[in-house]
Amino acid sequence: MLDSSGLSRREVLQKCVALGSITLIASQSSAAMLLAFEEKELHKPTPPNELGPFYKKRAPQTAMLRAAGDPGMPLSVSGQILDTRGEKLPNVVVEVWQTDHLGHYDLDGYRYRAKLPADGSGNYKFESVMPGHYPDRVCQHIHYLVTAPGHKPLVTQLYFATDPVFEGDPDKNFNRDPLIHSRELVRPVMLVGDPKDIHAAVNFELCLERV
Amino acid sequence: MWRRLAVIADMLLLVPVLAAEALRPEKTIILPTDVVIRFTAISPAGTFVAGICRDQKLRLWDVSAGSLSRTLDLGGERLTSVRFSDDGQLVALGGAKGGVRIWELPSATLKLEFTNPSEVNALAISRDRKLVAAAPLEEAVEVWDLSSAKQVAKMRAPFSGTSALAFSPDSHWLATADGDTSIRLYDARTGKLRNSVDDLLLESFAIVFSTDGKYILTGGADKVVNLIDASSGKVLRSLAKQDDVLLDLRQSRDGKRLVAAYVNADDPSKASPVVIWDLETQSPRTRILEPGVVPNGGEFLLDGRLLMTSGSEKELKIWSVSP
Ligand SMILES: [Fe+2]
Repeated sequence: MLDSSGLSRREVLQKCVALGSITLIASQSSAAMLLAFEEKELHKPTPPNELGPFYKKRAPQTAMLRAAGDPGMPLSVSGQILDTRGEKLPNVVVEVWQTDHLGHYDLDGYRYRAKLPADGSGNYKFESVMPGHYPDRVCQHIHYLVTAPGHKPLVTQLYFATDPVFEGDPDKNFNRDPLIHSRELVRPVMLVGDPKDIHAAVNFELCLERV
Repeated sequence: MWRRLAVIADMLLLVPVLAAEALRPEKTIILPTDVVIRFTAISPAGTFVAGICRDQKLRLWDVSAGSLSRTLDLGGERLTSVRFSDDGQLVALGGAKGGVRIWELPSATLKLEFTNPSEVNALAISRDRKLVAAAPLEEAVEVWDLSSAKQVAKMRAPFSGTSALAFSPDSHWLATADGDTSIRLYDARTGKLRNSVDDLLLESFAIVFSTDGKYILTGGADKVVNLIDASSGKVLRSLAKQDDVLLDLRQSRDGKRLVAAYVNADDPSKASPVVIWDLETQSPRTRILEPGVVPNGGEFLLDGRLLMTSGSEKELKIWSVSP
């Protein structure tokens, strides 16, 4: 559990001291204290990333962003939506928007823009195409706006480990795009399907912080 | 101003400059060796042209003499935003690490300095020269009082940040063009929300008040100019949609003309027009799109003239635009 926050147990303890939580739970043993911390911070919130200039309000409610015959590599994106305790969040509005495979945003209409229907189970999924590159941005990406009652709105972007910009090594090269501040936003891409009908699949978990 | 303006201006400047019909050459400033301008701002007093340079310095040239007058900076921080006060007596500069400095002109005396939590997207100075507003990327707008050097208000949109700012002519209200596509009007000193315009679907990158303070004019990714009633927050009408995204707006002092700079959203290196709108007829009056003419700054002066600049390496040209 602690791996997800990148902290060792000792660091957690030090963090507790630094945050003053020792005084709040002074009567508890250190093991209980760690447990309390783990329960509170089971999951690290998804790192935010800037909104960008082309968000469009009132996108249609659909999970199918791709139309039949659309050029580009078909792409499925899915993931769980959790709070920082690791509990699934059922009533979440996920809005996504991206360019077409050539890097064009639709400003006049709603192509490749959607409000995903909430499935009530704390998961989301949509079908699209791999977005293209465009002159003002280095990497391919999909924008997210995630909102849920009682939680901070999450504005972020999803990137792809297969992006040629990373030259196969996103660990080393993720910051070739000056807007990528977190390696975690660069997700592995699985190629699935039979050779004639390959599509890309990406898992991107969303974790929201309480207000 | 749009924070991506700098990037786009860098790309636009690759195009050579030729004179357009409506442009009359006013002055040519020879740039010092190795100085390359990214974008400019012109003092409404007509005294200085400010060049944001690639070496992260703001250079102020005296317009009438054509000579370099001052060199200002944020201690090496990348410069992202510049704004003169409406009377040209102050200049505000913002940077990529949130640094903001405001100087009094022409002496270049530092009046106020503060640090925002992130890159400065936009700046505005109230007409009475008492308040400065700064919009940091993805963060709350901050309003600072110049005489007390204290922050007086903070305005946070429900998510994301603010792209453009404008004070009302009476210095009482601050209008923000926010990332969530709403336009919000606040009491500039208390931060209290007066109204929120939620009918726009795409983000605005430019915002100005009409000279009488009754209207707010905005434009951005929707490629139109929206006329908003400041007291009701209603969008009254939109000027004809253009092909490109609107990047910047300035209104003439008599309230009759509006100059709008556009950029091609897919490829900023493609030439886009600067359109001068006639606000009485609500139609384009002049369209500046001659091959190679790429203004990188423009301003209506207190005396009614409209100046524009172009050029990036070796020389900076100042043009006056015929009405
Ligand atoms: Fe984008």
